Amino acid sequence: MAETKERLRRTMMFVPGNNPAMVKDAGIYGADSIMFDLEDAVSMAEKDAARDLVYEALQTQDYGDAELVVRINGDDTPYYHNDIKAMVKAGIDVIRLPKTETADMIKTLEKDVLAAEKEFGRKEGATHLMAAIESAKGVLNAPAIAAASDRMIGIALSAEDYTTDMKTHRYPDGAELQFARNMVLHAARAAGIAAFDTVFTNMDDTEGFYRETNYIHQLGFDGKSLVNPRQIAMVNKVYEPTEKEVENAKNVINAIKEARMKGSGVISMNGQMVDRPVVLRAQRVMMLAKASHLVDEEGNYIEK
Amino acid sequence: MEIKQTAIAGTLESSDIQIMLSKGQSGIQIDLESDVKKQFGDQINAVITETLKKFGIDHVKVKALDKGALDCVIKARTIAAAQRALKTADQPAWEVL
Amino acid sequence: MYESIVDLNLNDAKVRTKWQAFLKSLGIANFSDREVDKIDFTIGIYNGDELVATGSAAGNVLKYVGVCNKGVTTGSRFNAIVGELVNRLFQQQVFHIFVFTKKKYSESFQHIGFEQLGDTDVAAFLEMGGPNIHDYLNDLLKVPNQQYQQIGAVVMNANPFTLGHRYLVEKAAKENDFVYVFVVSANTSLFSADERLQLVREGLSDLDNVVVVAGGDYMVSYATFPAYFLPDNVTATDYQTALDARVFKIQIAPALHITTRYVGSEPLSKTTNQYNQALKRELPPDVQVVEVPRKQDQTGAVITATRVRKAIKAGDLSNIIESLPSSTYDFIKENLHELQARITKGMTIDGN
Repeated sequence: MAETKERLRRTMMFVPGNNPAMVKDAGIYGADSIMFDLEDAVSMAEKDAARDLVYEALQTQDYGDAELVVRINGDDTPYYHNDIKAMVKAGIDVIRLPKTETADMIKTLEKDVLAAEKEFGRKEGATHLMAAIESAKGVLNAPAIAAASDRMIGIALSAEDYTTDMKTHRYPDGAELQFARNMVLHAARAAGIAAFDTVFTNMDDTEGFYRETNYIHQLGFDGKSLVNPRQIAMVNKVYEPTEKEVENAKNVINAIKEARMKGSGVISMNGQMVDRPVVLRAQRVMMLAKASHLVDEEGNYIEK
Repeated sequence: MEIKQTAIAGTLESSDIQIMLSKGQSGIQIDLESDVKKQFGDQINAVITETLKKFGIDHVKVKALDKGALDCVIKARTIAAAQRALKTADQPAWEVL
Repeated sequence: MYESIVDLNLNDAKVRTKWQAFLKSLGIANFSDREVDKIDFTIGIYNGDELVATGSAAGNVLKYVGVCNKGVTTGSRFNAIVGELVNRLFQQQVFHIFVFTKKKYSESFQHIGFEQLGDTDVAAFLEMGGPNIHDYLNDLLKVPNQQYQQIGAVVMNANPFTLGHRYLVEKAAKENDFVYVFVVSANTSLFSADERLQLVREGLSDLDNVVVVAGGDYMVSYATFPAYFLPDNVTATDYQTALDARVFKIQIAPALHITTRYVGSEPLSKTTNQYNQALKRELPPDVQVVEVPRKQDQTGAVITATRVRKAIKAGDLSNIIESLPSSTYDFIKENLHELQARITKGMTIDGN
């Protein structure tokens, strides 16, 4: 687990790495994470050009507070090592490894990343990692993969390849993904990292998109991978806390403040001790409320 | 230094620039087409020239078709074209990036 | 939203039907084997199940480019398709690309980096990449003060070089300070492009004011011109000969200060005769066309390369020895079996 601080990762927007218009504008849609794709969205002949483009864009473009992720090409391709070096040198936040099947793949990646950090003088450990799970083997090894490195910040299910591996395809009700979603989610939670759900590609099926997003929100995923900026607002809507959740969270936060002022090590509310998971949840709800513009900086509810 | 082969990088999509390099004998000759050539032509040419010089390329013909590319895109496409023209696309020039 | 480009496999009947229907809706109706069989690869863009853009490459020639602009910025799909075709050809180390297209699309191609070499009422011929026509012309041998000299030109396929060809060049050499002999470079003849060029050089080596050069991509053997996009009422030969003549007039002649072009009279071949007529129609007044009567052998028959090829097929060189310079005759004698083998393998000896 690379992080000690909670971070919102409701939306991870995919950006084709060789498309200057989309690379340039990726920051304006308000995605929590931006994932530049050097892998499936880039044809073999353009791998070099895409890498150059993402590198130069990272040097000059302002992507605000978004977490910047690059999906590199797999270790079975000739592009893997150059992708790692270029992205470490560029100072990327997170490297996403596609088609992860074993914890060893992450350990190897960690070694390669460390070597690149040393070569280019980047602070060791500054480059975080995440794994995409795209096969039955990957799903079964998910707990070990999620815990394979201190640099890991998340694990994502990628349903297109996974369903192919499972000899099925995607259905509207998502029954074929039930097991994989729960495995990936449990692996993430057990390792204390984020869990990302797969993309939803039918842009015309708004209802289906909401149904799926509500479902993975209910399961407990941090968020969803997206291919279209229009889906960002829709996901954020689903992740918006209710007024009651915000009120509860505020009570917890106030209790913490009070305990701190009193110099007390024990946080209590309504005569009950408030334990750590409750505190974390309250902090997360307040983050979501702020990100959804439901409360102001002080945590006061904004009337609409 | 001269290039080894003709090479091209970039597309004709909006916000991109297509850079084509071919052998030349008399310096870096740039033939630029751009809707904003009047305002930004010098700047675009400067980015291309500077990037080529970092590769040590000093004799080359450049055909550049600009579709409104930012400097970082111009630089990236020039790098990709140069590495392809030098046949070193699989060995990125880390000092140039 | 960005649209992805996919490969279209025209061997798949369903894909091919869709592809043809789409192009037909854009007014392209000629899908003859002569045009389609030469295609190396085809790409397309789908919007859902509907094909909305396509383009193909045959060798270094772009073909069957068609785009529907409904619902998108005009030009964006065209740019994507042509850009992808160009990129793929470059990856295949093809750095010099041509397109023959309807005249109305010439500007679209020029907008994305193609340069027009010539056009007629219906068609245009463009190139991109290099070495381009300016490189080609720059590399040709020049004489001092060429612009003040009388310069002539002869274009020939010379399959193979005969004393008839030599007669034509001799006349040009007598009447001019300097003569360019362009040998068509297309490799579709019994004698290869290199062999033809070599035999022309040897057969003219004693003429000091004559230079023999490869016609490159600009003295187009009209057999290779695509014609699929032409309207029904325009015959392929008319447009091909006219376009070829215009390229000579607009690009070649001014750069080399050529003022006279020499052609052999053509009593036998209808196509070649049409070509001569097109030259006479298109080139003047900038370039004069001098039609020289064919040289005859001692029996009074005109010397033609066709007759030479027939003799090769028959294996009897006795009747053609008088029609050939020794260099050509010796080459045929030495390579008779190889040449006959090419004919047996299917190389046609008719035509030019």
